[in-house]
Amino acid sequence: MNGKVKESGLGLDVEEFKRKKQKNAYMMTMLSVVGILSFLLLWQISVSMEWVNQKFLASPMQVLNLFLVKLTDASPDGNTLGMNVLASLQVSLTGFTLAVCIGVPLGLLMGWYRGFDSLIRPIFEVVRPIPPVSWIPLIIVWLGIGLQAKAFIVFFSAFVPCVINSYTGIRQTVPVLINVAKTCGASNFTIFWKIGIPSSMTMVFTGIKVALGNAWSTLVAAEMLAASAGLGYMILMGRQFARPDIIILGITVIGAIGMLFSSLLNIAESKVLGWKKV
Amino acid sequence: MKKRTVKLSVAEQKQHNLEIIYKLLPILSFLILIGVWLLAASVENARFPSPTAVWERYLLLCEKPIKKIGLLGHVLTSLRRVFIAFAIAWSSGIAFGILTGWNKKMGAVLNPIFNAVRAVPPLAWIPLITIMFGTGEGPKILVVFIGAFMPVVVNTQAGMSNIKQLYLNVGTIFNANKYQRLFQIAIPSALDAIFAGLRTSVSSGWMVVLAAEMLGAKAGVGFLITRGMESGDQALVLISMICIGLVGALLAIVMQIMEGVICPWTRKK
Amino acid sequence: MDQKKIKLSIKNISHGYIVNDDVFQAASNISLDVYDNEFLVILGPGHCGKTVLLNIISGLEEAEVGQKEIDGQPFKGSDKRIGMVFQELALMPWKTVMANTEFGPQMAGMSKQQRRKIAQKYIDLVGLHGFEKSYPNKLSGGMKQRVGIARAYTNEPEILLMDEPFGQLDAQTRYAMEEEIQRIWQQEKRTIIFVTNNIEEAIYLGDRIVLLSKCPAQIKEIYDVNLPRPRDSVSPEFLGLRKQISDNTDLPL
Repeated sequence: MNGKVKESGLGLDVEEFKRKKQKNAYMMTMLSVVGILSFLLLWQISVSMEWVNQKFLASPMQVLNLFLVKLTDASPDGNTLGMNVLASLQVSLTGFTLAVCIGVPLGLLMGWYRGFDSLIRPIFEVVRPIPPVSWIPLIIVWLGIGLQAKAFIVFFSAFVPCVINSYTGIRQTVPVLINVAKTCGASNFTIFWKIGIPSSMTMVFTGIKVALGNAWSTLVAAEMLAASAGLGYMILMGRQFARPDIIILGITVIGAIGMLFSSLLNIAESKVLGWKKV
Repeated sequence: MKKRTVKLSVAEQKQHNLEIIYKLLPILSFLILIGVWLLAASVENARFPSPTAVWERYLLLCEKPIKKIGLLGHVLTSLRRVFIAFAIAWSSGIAFGILTGWNKKMGAVLNPIFNAVRAVPPLAWIPLITIMFGTGEGPKILVVFIGAFMPVVVNTQAGMSNIKQLYLNVGTIFNANKYQRLFQIAIPSALDAIFAGLRTSVSSGWMVVLAAEMLGAKAGVGFLITRGMESGDQALVLISMICIGLVGALLAIVMQIMEGVICPWTRKK
Repeated sequence: MDQKKIKLSIKNISHGYIVNDDVFQAASNISLDVYDNEFLVILGPGHCGKTVLLNIISGLEEAEVGQKEIDGQPFKGSDKRIGMVFQELALMPWKTVMANTEFGPQMAGMSKQQRRKIAQKYIDLVGLHGFEKSYPNKLSGGMKQRVGIARAYTNEPEILLMDEPFGQLDAQTRYAMEEEIQRIWQQEKRTIIFVTNNIEEAIYLGDRIVLLSKCPAQIKEIYDVNLPRPRDSVSPEFLGLRKQISDNTDLPL
């Protein structure tokens, strides 16, 4: 390799190039760390120096303290942190799983079979623009404020992106692939199963990701409007007891779980769609 | 339909019949929808109002407006909140997205913080905001702002960091300076991504204002829903929902028209 | 072409990249003089070296080794005197034909009225009169490349680089565009460096043809094409030269 460099007279040095690249990546990471740290520091200082009234904001240290306490302590909202997290996870995962299991096949079928499309689309289009949150009053009357009611609302918010993305995804199937299958004598269903579905998977995954985000944020709304446990309920209680530390702890946990979800989905996507990466 | 003198083959006839069925199916589906509604209303009489009950409630609402504000007034109250929030969220969101998407170092510093904040659903900020700023008009707009800001930033960033090298090369060849590269090449080429962000922000903002109003307001469509829920007035809830759906759909259409006007090159052939 | 004034010259250009922990050499020790108002064609096999060489001349890339001069003056990076027609159509979809064409003078800060006038001249020259307000997505492939040519001309460069400009066109349009580029060049003389992988195109257009070897690209041979224009692509001389170059061309990998 070295000989090659000398022979061509190029001043290219592989080692130096690699070092430079590494140094660059290292600097970017450092910048990110510095950004986060200075944000936390500014927050901590502004609370402890009382630039902001302690009634309104809790410092990162206080929140961290509360986190440890709240692991075992059920006051003031009546549940420990773990119970709240479990309650929220149960609701959101129930609704989300249902939405994926029903929404994705529905979208795929609508995209592939025209008859199905013209039957279901109008209903879907009528219901779609109504935000899931506005169903809450009706659902409460029908199903009360238990798991079912909230799961239904979450389901609704996750359902729409699943359908839309699966529908668009399978609609974008490359016609050449379909024609190839046709000339090989495949039936319509075989083509749907072997070509339509695999080639729509990228879009389906995008839909599932959006659905998960929607599910998680709708869950918070549902729990704030009607619940007796869960993270949304916890921050609402924090508001009622004027405890900013509880609210911020709740917000942080909600955000952390949301991030965890989306990174899990990203991993799942790269596993399932490994062939997409070059 | 054109008059056909040629006799159709069996396959063509079949195709023709299918076309008719496809045209009829949407009508059928609407009929099913209304049928289900009527059925639900007749079976569980107290729980779900029939279409006629909703219509009568609507007429009553026109006669006796709630809080002396007509239905339209409530819609406009909500829209006003949303539009103020959009104006702020769009201008600041686009600026922030351009800054962090175009300048790699800025992105490295600010993106982690932004992503952490973004992971929190906008509605979850409501308790914190009300504890800090109370329940007035400003805090509601702030919540909507958060809901609308996030998608604008995310999409603008994506657009700004995925600019085709080819276009930047054109800039190099024609000796464009830094500002020209940014304003003549980078930003226009990111416009369709930015618009995708604006569209998302409209639907998310409309959802958030509704939720914010449901959690405490004296006017607006969200308030109407809560009022209906608290007084057991299911017809009022349904009217509000229909209203919300209509306005949401209308906003989406307005956005589409706006994109066509501002970015005429994205129009299909 | 009696007094052959040297317009552009590149000296001992070598360039390479680091790919997967190894040095990949694209061009090796290329020296070349280009004469004023000459139509020079750079011909080479496959995907090797040609575009890199053009990118180095235009300043999109900086050569690892070597110098370049215009009129005997060394220069670096991109230069106002050099224009380029891109391989992919590189028209900005958000700009109309007029806005795309006037891009160069606009970057140079010329007043709107003035740059419109120049742009109009070249839009007319390439035969797109009446399409000024169209967006690129409404144009055919050949028309788009005409805009690309007009854009390069509007900047009034002394040297025009063309990187396989007709590579993506269908055969019919390609022939038509070859005629066009010849007509435009004869009307508005410039020094043109035209890159292609198509031997007929090279002989049809070039005053001289520089044949590059396979990777790393080196100059293999330079052919003078002394056929009268417009050239007849089935004349014995044409076919003879075609065979000669073809036999000398390295097979692409």
